[in-house]
Amino acid sequence: MEFVNLQGIRLDGRRPKELRQLCAEIGVVSKADGSAAFEMGNTRVIAAVFGPRAVQNRSQKIANRALVRCEYSMAKFSTGDRVRRPKGDRRSMEISLVIRQTMEACIMTQLMPNSQIDICLQVLQADGGTRSACINAATLALADAGIPMCDIVVSCSAGYLNTTPLLDLNYIEDSGGGPDVTVGILAKMNKVTLLQMDNKLPFDTFEKVMQLAIDGCEAISKYIREVLLENTKQLEYRRGL
Amino acid sequence: MAGDEERDDTITTPGEVVGHFSSLIPGRGTYLCHKNHRDIYASLTGHCKITPPSPTSTDKRSTIEIVGHKSHGAIPETGSIVIARVTKVMSKMASADIMCVGAKSVKEKFSGTIRQQDVRATEIDKVDMYASFHPGDIVRALVLSLGDSRAYFLSTAKNELGVVSAQSTSGSGDTMVPISWTEMQCPTTGQVEQRKVAKVV
Repeated sequence: MEFVNLQGIRLDGRRPKELRQLCAEIGVVSKADGSAAFEMGNTRVIAAVFGPRAVQNRSQKIANRALVRCEYSMAKFSTGDRVRRPKGDRRSMEISLVIRQTMEACIMTQLMPNSQIDICLQVLQADGGTRSACINAATLALADAGIPMCDIVVSCSAGYLNTTPLLDLNYIEDSGGGPDVTVGILAKMNKVTLLQMDNKLPFDTFEKVMQLAIDGCEAISKYIREVLLENTKQLEYRRGL
Repeated sequence: MAGDEERDDTITTPGEVVGHFSSLIPGRGTYLCHKNHRDIYASLTGHCKITPPSPTSTDKRSTIEIVGHKSHGAIPETGSIVIARVTKVMSKMASADIMCVGAKSVKEKFSGTIRQQDVRATEIDKVDMYASFHPGDIVRALVLSLGDSRAYFLSTAKNELGVVSAQSTSGSGDTMVPISWTEMQCPTTGQVEQRKVAKVV
């Protein structure tokens, strides 16, 4: 199948190095301490953060830092077919674990001993790149909740089809049989906190694809920063400051 | 806003450099990177607030803090004064639910324990727990330590710590009035009950 045609245009009309349209909204879940909705093209996710609060399961309490728990779930209506997904299925558990480790790397857990932070992620529409959209939404929700972080974590995916590195794969490109590299970085510090790939790639091609994903992350981090600044200004304006 | 504090109009997001260690002390909402000890980074989203140093301190640098629009709920720390409601009284200890830390209320209650030896400062082995607390009393206590895995350790071993408000166990159930540092009296029935009373300053 031709994922990139002779003029260099992909199936959805983008160029190989183009991100999908980003849209973020903060404060969508009023009951949560912090929440955000993040869209990357047709992929839409909601993140809600609860915490820091007292640990509910005493045996998991950690004496010198906060416990971070993360739950990822896809809504039944999120994909093309309406499928009932079992709660603890392997893909959800794996993505929950991966996102938890990514966020734990940036939350300053040592400032909140004996407490718990819950990150709940719900995918409303899945069109490829749900992992990355969830991490971006979780970052916004944590910033909205006022939880201290050492830096903003952003994530983006990239692949390699028809001998072209492609940025931000959608579902059709992801199921095209090529490799899918997901990168999560700390934006200002330029450190990698997540690096996953499925399928196989020769080493020098991998370097190109990973660098493309990192460039995509930097563009997303600029957008996320603008959204946070705008949101703070709006809140201050409403409070009359 | 107070005249001696400047509020910078810059809004920052986590990870941005807000100052240099040589000219500012990192305060709440900021941190120093352990690799590069010269730059101060922000850890919250909000405005930078620079507080000039107090005249008595030896360090002449101002403190920079980030004032966020939302702060997460209070968490008890060692040495903080908390308000707690007593839930259980036993022969050697009393359990209490911590409701406020300092002046802020907590989002979800924490469990605290007042041990027999921490009720008062004198004659600690002769303390009668039932004569110091009753379930339902509101006490002001000091957090001694993070305690064991179940609860924080609290102490009322100071004059200004102890029962602040209590209901009478007589029929009326009115709020009692303190009459000495060990007794409270119900205003309607005149019944005197024993508590470890806090001296209200």
